[in-house]
This record gives sequence, structure tokens and C-alpha cells, in this order.
Amino acid sequence: MIYNTSSNNISSDTVSNNTVSNNTVSNNTVSNNTVSKVAKSKTNSTLLLANNIIKTFRNGEQETFVLKGINLTIPQGKMIALQGASGSGKSTLLNILGLLMRPTSGELMLLDHSLTNLSDAELSNYRNRHLGFVFQYHNLLPDFTALENVAFPAAATRGRLTADIKKRALLLLDKVGLSDRSNFLASQLSGGQKQRVAIARSLINNPKLVFADEPTGNLDQDSAKQVMNLLRDINQTDNTTFLISTHDNSVAANCDDIVRIIDGKIADV
Amino acid sequence: MPFSLLVAWRYITANSLQTLLLVLGVSLSVVVFVFITALINGLSIFLTQETTSKIAHIELEPANKIARVLTNDNRFVAQPVSTLQRKQIRNWQQVIEIAGSTPGVSVISPIVDGNAFLVRGEATQPIAIQGVEPSKVDAITNISSYIIKGTAELTTGGLIIGADLADELGLFVGTPVLLKSERGAERLLSITGIFRVGLSSLDQRVGFLSINVARPLFDLPDGITSLGLKLDDPADAPAIAKVLQNSTQLKSTPWQEKNKSLQNATDAQGRTGNFIQGFTLLAIIISISSALLLSTYRRRAEIGIMRATGISRQFVATVFIFQGIFIGALGAFLGAAAGYQLCVKLASITKADGSSMLPIAPSEGGYMLVIILTIVGAALAAVLPARAASAVDPVEAIQQ
Ligand SMILES: Nc1ncnc2c1ncn2[C@@H]1O[C@H](COP(=O)(O)OP(=O)(O)OP(=O)(O)O)[C@@H](O)[C@H]1O
Ligand SMILES: [Mg+2]
Repeated sequence: MIYNTSSNNISSDTVSNNTVSNNTVSNNTVSNNTVSKVAKSKTNSTLLLANNIIKTFRNGEQETFVLKGINLTIPQGKMIALQGASGSGKSTLLNILGLLMRPTSGELMLLDHSLTNLSDAELSNYRNRHLGFVFQYHNLLPDFTALENVAFPAAATRGRLTADIKKRALLLLDKVGLSDRSNFLASQLSGGQKQRVAIARSLINNPKLVFADEPTGNLDQDSAKQVMNLLRDINQTDNTTFLISTHDNSVAANCDDIVRIIDGKIADV
Repeated sequence: MPFSLLVAWRYITANSLQTLLLVLGVSLSVVVFVFITALINGLSIFLTQETTSKIAHIELEPANKIARVLTNDNRFVAQPVSTLQRKQIRNWQQVIEIAGSTPGVSVISPIVDGNAFLVRGEATQPIAIQGVEPSKVDAITNISSYIIKGTAELTTGGLIIGADLADELGLFVGTPVLLKSERGAERLLSITGIFRVGLSSLDQRVGFLSINVARPLFDLPDGITSLGLKLDDPADAPAIAKVLQNSTQLKSTPWQEKNKSLQNATDAQGRTGNFIQGFTLLAIIISISSALLLSTYRRRAEIGIMRATGISRQFVATVFIFQGIFIGALGAFLGAAAGYQLCVKLASITKADGSSMLPIAPSEGGYMLVIILTIVGAALAAVLPARAASAVDPVEAIQQ
């Protein structure tokens, strides 16, 4: 189980059990590796844990409850689809898990560290080092080349566009099949190419977890398929974890698991 | 190159037309700054030069007061010199030696001066006589260049007077006149030269004659009344005057003290200039600030993406500060160059007599100042946009 519908506290439900066992697994992993005995799959270790996430938006007097207690465990190495009706809170949840937005209440743990009390700058740093993002629109900086776009998060944080960042960016562009477009301005690329560049960019800092908010929502079927194959390929070769929100059932069918939001909570499939 | 610099440069070159207009706007303000500065400085230089070329930069006269030691407490105090004695400089040869070895002093002219009346028939006119050494007739005022009739040569028995005075008494070169000094001495002289300097104080009232002719007229067989000094740089007059005051114990007056109104006039011009300079800088700051602020709105989504990928607020802010600095620097250098060209052009426009139409000094455009102020101002102008950019909320920006 990677998700849980309970909105109660950790104490009695399966999340806490999972957490504990996962932690022990991650401890075990090291010893397992050293002994070369595989007791449990490495991919079962917990990467991100959301506990009773509540999000409300206040509009003057009126308060909208969007997320009403989300409990979610994302294990390492999985590719998970996030589904739900339009307006159900998929983007909101991705933004919260991706540390772009703070929940009204609830707790987040990334790599066993609590993120609740971190400052904006610290969260920003976490995003840069551990998380990747692919959005539906506005993904790239139009005045920069594909290569510069891919290198951007690393170069800006390092302060310089170094040769090794360029090299890695080129490698990633090659991986998404666009090495011949590396010097094209982002504005000169097609929609599908832009998404592939965005995927390459999301990987520049070797993230543990990549969030994709309807990455194929803007693409035709062929391009969408290409992008999904690419994500799957990266997931399998690099063990990168993906959380992908999508309306497209064929996209969801390509994932390891599907998480559904219904009425502000995670629904059991 | 820092990556933020690369990003800033890409941003301002991405929309080259807008950047060009903005840079042109900034450089136009810089041109105005340079023009005003060069004009005001030029005017001040012109006026100062006009004045200092015709008068002594420092005048040394007998002191009204001299330092004496009081017996009871070993201090120097200033005490009045006896008013019964004739005021004169007896040891003037020595003073010439001291002044001559003072750095910055270029010319020294001993003078015997005094008041007299010029008499022709029934008519008399007051005249201020300057008795100078014949070789130094041009030392203080370049009389030779202002002679309109006759010569500037000082002969025994010759007198050179201003054109206004000559008109007043109907005198021509060769006309004999009687000079009656304030000491009661008289001498028949002949007009050998007539000058027009353009200063009514000179043209109406002053006459030059040889110092040896002046001595008996003013009853000064040995001493002189004053020494006129010219300096390499007239601006040094107050400092050098102080030095000479100490070394010669004479009353030492820099030209500025006798021309306070000139100082006041140039000061007032300077303040007017500062006012205009301030406004041009303000115009630069406002135009850069508003243009960059617009750009932060246009690039909201991009900034949102940067922030989403964990790029710090500082990086975003730095990019905008650098954009401001780029625009400021481009506008400053372009404007300074154009301003210089303009000033050179304007300075070369001459009137019929060959003098400049505008007393503009192209080399005094305040280039260093305007470049520094513009770049600093541009950086300050970018602070507000930089703050706005770094405050962009990624979620809001991306969802738009
Ligand atoms: N800033 C906000 N202020 C107020 N309400 C908001 C805000 N952001 C989102 N909401 C509301 O939260 C709900 C969930 O929005 P969200 O964008 O997460 O839905 P979604 O599942 O991503 O929808 P879609 O499939 O259309 O992208 C919506 O009802 C929306 O109106
Ligand atoms: Mg959405």
C-alpha cells in the first residue's frame, strides 16, 4: 500500500505501520546490500510521506476545503499516477508535496526529515537539490537555448554555467532525444520537444522525485506517448520516482500505481 | 562569467528594440547632464579667465597691521602700524626674491601707483596711475594686445591711457597733457598709446607710465606701493597668498577677494546646474525602474519556473539588478560620448570675431561623475523591480 484514506492520526492506521517498517527497511537495505541478500525490494523504502495534509483556501469570508486530510506514502523508484476530477485538488496536492505551497496543516517528511518548520529559503534549496518539476504550460524560458534551459537550475544555484553542468545537460538532452536541438531557443521548439526539454531539466540535479502536473495535457497522442515512454525509461534506468497528475487514462495505465483524489481525500482503488 | 550576469544580458538583449529605446532615453538624459555641466563649467572658466587675464592674481601691499611680541606673555599679536608713516614697501627687492622662489608664481611686477588728475586746458579728469617697469607693461594686463592707437612702449615722458578717458578729454596719440599727482607734483607728458581692454574700470580711469617717471610724481624715491603677481593657475591664489603673507609679512590679497561677485555668480550658476543634473538623474532612475518593473510582470511565469526549480530569491533579484546596471552603463557611455560630440560641435561654432558662440568647455562635461552616478542610479532603480521579481509566488505565476 502506498496510500491511505484515513484522515485520523498516525497512531492507529496503516501509514504509521508502513512508515516504521519502511524505515527499518531502509536501515536494512544497507546491511542487505553488504550481505548481498535481498530480503525486500529496495524500491519499497519511503521517499516522501504526507500525513494528514489539509489545505483550505480563504476567499474573504468563504473558506474552501480542497484537501481534507491526505495521507500518502511515496516509495522510492515508483511511477505513480494522480487522478481525480477537474478541481479535485491534484495540482494543489502536487504543489504541496513539491514544497511550492504550504499546507494549512499536516506534516511532510522527505527522506526522513520533517519539512514542517523549514524556512522558504530552505524549502527552495530542498526543491533544487531533491525535486524536479514538469508543468503543463510555461515550462521553459523562451530566451534561452534548450541546453541552457536544462542547465538552468544547476547553473543558477552553482553561480556559473560550468563545463560539467553543460556536459550533464547535453547528456540529458541526448537521453530525451534532443541532442540535435541543444542550441535551439526554447521558443523554436514544438510542444512535445519543449516537454522533453522540461523533463531533461527536471533531472539536472539528480532529483529523488519528479512531479509532473499534466505533462501530456497539452500534447497530441503521439507526443504524449513519447513523453510517457521517456518518463518510464528514466524511471527504470535511473530509479527516479515520478508523481504524475493526469486526466489521461492511458497515461495512468502506464504507471505502477494510481492514486485518486475524491472529495479531498485519497480514495481506495 | 556569473550565471546571473549571463541571464541579465540575455534578458536585455532578447527584446532589443525595447532595450534600445530605454538605453536611448537614458543616454539622452546623460547628454543633457553633460551639456549642462560643460556649459556651466565653461561659463565659469570663461568668466574667470576673462577676469584673471586682466588683473593681478595676488596683490602685495604694505601691511596695515604687523605682528609684534607683547613683553608680558610671549604671544604675537596684530598691532596697527603708525598712520603717520608713509605706506610703502622699502625692501621690495627682497620681496621679489621671496615671491620669485615661491612655487606657482610666474610673474612679479613692482608697481608705484597713486591717484592724479589729468589736465588739458580747462578740463580735468581723475586718473589712477600705474607706474610699472617698461619691460613689464604686459605683466598684469596684456596692454599690448588692447592698444588701439599708438604703442604699448613706456618711454620717459610717455603716458598710455584708456580709450574712454581719451575720448572724455579729446586726447590723441601725441597730445601733450599735464599730470598732477595727489602729492602735488606735476609733469608734462605726451600720450603714446590708447588701449581698450573692455573693462570700464580700466578704460575710464587707468593710465600707465614708467615706474621711474612715477617715483618723483608720488614722492617715492626708493620704495614701491605694491607688487602685482601672476600665477601659473589663478585658482591657487588664496593658498599662495597665505604663503606669501607669512613669508613677506605684507598684506597679500588673492584676486578672488576683490571679485566676490564673480564667485557669487559662478556659484549661483553651479547651483542651477546641480538642480538640472539632479532632474536628469531622476529621469534616468524613473525610466529604468518603470521599464524593469514592467519586465517583471511580463516575465512572471518564467520567474515562477525559476523559483519552482529551487532557484533562490537572491539569484532572481541579482538578475534584475544586473539588468539595471547594464542599461545604465550602456546609456551612460553612449550618452557621455554623444554629449562630448555635441559639446565639441557647439564649442566650434564661432561668432564673427572668432570667439565661441557658447562658452562651453567640452572637456569639463563631468563625464566620470555622470557615468558613475548613472550606473549607481540604475542599480538603485533596479532595486524595486528586483524585489518585485524575487517576491513572485511560483504557484500563482505558473498557474496563470
Ligand atoms: N489560490 C487559490 N485560491 C482559491 N482557491 C483555489 C486556489 N487554488 C486552487 N483553488 C481551488 O482548489 C480546487 C482544486 O484546484 P486544483 O488546481 O488543485 O485542481 P486540479 O485537480 O488540479 O484541477 P484540474 O484537473 O482542472 O487541473 C479548485 O476548486 C480551485 O478552485
Ligand atoms: Mg491542475
